[in-house]
Amino acid sequence: MTPGKSPAGHFSILYFAAASTFTAKSTEHLLAPVQAGKLFDRLEQKYPGIKDKVLSSCAVTVNLEYIDLDGDDAPNVDLVIKEGDEVAIIPPVSSG
Amino acid sequence: MAPPPVLILESLRQQIASCESQLQDLRRQLAEAEHQQRAAQQHAHDRLRTSAPAPFGDPLTHDMRYGIHDDFRSEVFAALSQGEEEQAGEEEQRPPGRRWPLDAVEYRRYGRQLIMPEVGLQGQLRLKNAAVLIIGMGGLGCPAAAYLAGAGVGTIGLVDGDVVEESNLHRQILHSTARVGMTKVESAMVALNSLNPNVKLVSHTTRLSPETALSTMQPYDLVLDCTDNPASRYLISDTCVLLGKTLVSASALRTDGQLMVLNNPPMPPGSTSGGPCYRCVFPKPPPPESVVSCGDGGILGPVVGIMGVLQALEAIKVLTRNSNPSIPETPPDPPSLLIFSAYSSPMFRSIRLRTRKAKCAACSAQASVTPEALNSGSLDYVQFCGVINPVDALSPNERISVNNYAKIRLDVNPFTGTEPSKDSHILVDVREKVEFDLCNVEGSVNVPFSTVTSTRSSGPNGTSNGQQGNEEQSWVSELKSYPDKPIFVLCRRGNDSQITVKKMRELGLDLGGQRWIGDIKGGLNAWRDSVDPEFPEY
Repeated sequence: MTPGKSPAGHFSILYFAAASTFTAKSTEHLLAPVQAGKLFDRLEQKYPGIKDKVLSSCAVTVNLEYIDLDGDDAPNVDLVIKEGDEVAIIPPVSSG
Repeated sequence: MAPPPVLILESLRQQIASCESQLQDLRRQLAEAEHQQRAAQQHAHDRLRTSAPAPFGDPLTHDMRYGIHDDFRSEVFAALSQGEEEQAGEEEQRPPGRRWPLDAVEYRRYGRQLIMPEVGLQGQLRLKNAAVLIIGMGGLGCPAAAYLAGAGVGTIGLVDGDVVEESNLHRQILHSTARVGMTKVESAMVALNSLNPNVKLVSHTTRLSPETALSTMQPYDLVLDCTDNPASRYLISDTCVLLGKTLVSASALRTDGQLMVLNNPPMPPGSTSGGPCYRCVFPKPPPPESVVSCGDGGILGPVVGIMGVLQALEAIKVLTRNSNPSIPETPPDPPSLLIFSAYSSPMFRSIRLRTRKAKCAACSAQASVTPEALNSGSLDYVQFCGVINPVDALSPNERISVNNYAKIRLDVNPFTGTEPSKDSHILVDVREKVEFDLCNVEGSVNVPFSTVTSTRSSGPNGTSNGQQGNEEQSWVSELKSYPDKPIFVLCRRGNDSQITVKKMRELGLDLGGQRWIGDIKGGLNAWRDSVDPEFPEY
């Protein structure tokens, strides 16, 4: 999983654990910009079912920083994901 | 005389190991009881002394009914308290009569870490005075416990309700082949005791529950979450917040791992200067059907090993922080989530976490998790994380038992007299290809379950998504090309096979009810139990 530099007008997204299983990808590039609060809807269009089955419990990071998207009034719903950003979808892993 | 069978040797070894660990537990209990008794005697003596002044001036004629004479008392108690520095509290305090703060054996044993400025004498004394609770004695707990015992943590508590199984041994490094069947806690105690007999081990051979969590975790300074399910992760984190303890939490599955130091610093709920808790990072549990265990998803030994070793490292860092007076004090590291991904480059990514969540159910000012709620059992963690019911998707006439299926394969049909034939039907095995390649039933064809679920049944408008690969379609057309053969679906446990049967119907493979499609109940596990005992168990 090496995302590489995202092409012009895109951001890169990394899928970990269950998100990687669901999308059958570890990384890809998506069109920028996108509002953080709309990211899950965008992914749901591309991967029907992913919102309920995976994303609802995931941590989301932008450029290695955790963003809080829990609830409509969450602190980071208005954050804009820009060209060249690196987003990561991190489901909780609970086994051990 | 013939040599005793291997099984007897094995059993004897297990019994000896079990007795040794029981003996050790008894010694620990005795030591504790003796200590309590001494403390009680001292208390009684103090009380007596105030009410009954010593009647004689000469210590040698002192009436021993009132305890030992003052002049001797300090010496006697100094002798009694040898080796119990952890009760003394102050780490700088040297036991009377001792020249050096550590025993000679301790200087030798811990020498390689003692000479590091990050540890030093004060750091080692902190470790020695610390009590760490490790919850889960599996792939994470084993390496974590080994390194903490090796480092000389004074007291280590071990929690686990399971017994050692053969399939644990590729990663759970404290257990051994001879100890299969022993409880994981006892097995770990045998290994840890032989590694470092100076560590006091406390066994808790049951699963942690909401009712026992507070009392179990209370006596410890630091907690390591080495468990394997979401419910226990929330329970442990909530309890750590309530008790004001820092939590080192890790997890691992397949090739990935996660590590966080939570509630660090461990401030009371509502304090914004405390570190975030597990709920701050993952406020919603994953849907239960998406939770994969190591038994189903697989796990690479070194992956979980790395995560457990990192837990031990973080624990040592937390316990020895700012112990060196010549290094300026620093605040705890800002909270982070370390992601390990063995097949990625880079393998490690560190994510900066936010501070406590303003609306966190456990650590914010609006917290609903309270000690009363926990003790009363009104917090149902299993319910919160959801329960998966066994799949029961099909009617009885869509299912067949392994015994009846075996008859179809092996017996002459008693009514028609036809010879059995493997070509009379299609046997579809829906395990993933890697599992199918390990072992499979002769004549079966493999259609991996992931392929089945990602195949879309054409919607009402007949459009199919552009993502649909040729491979997904090909298995459907292949099965359609033998319209007269019934389809039997098989998997590992008998759940995926039922879902596949439903899916095949949706895809029209039953030809509008013309063709029988059904699942083999209980899957390959039942097949092994009832038909083919040599079919490998993995």
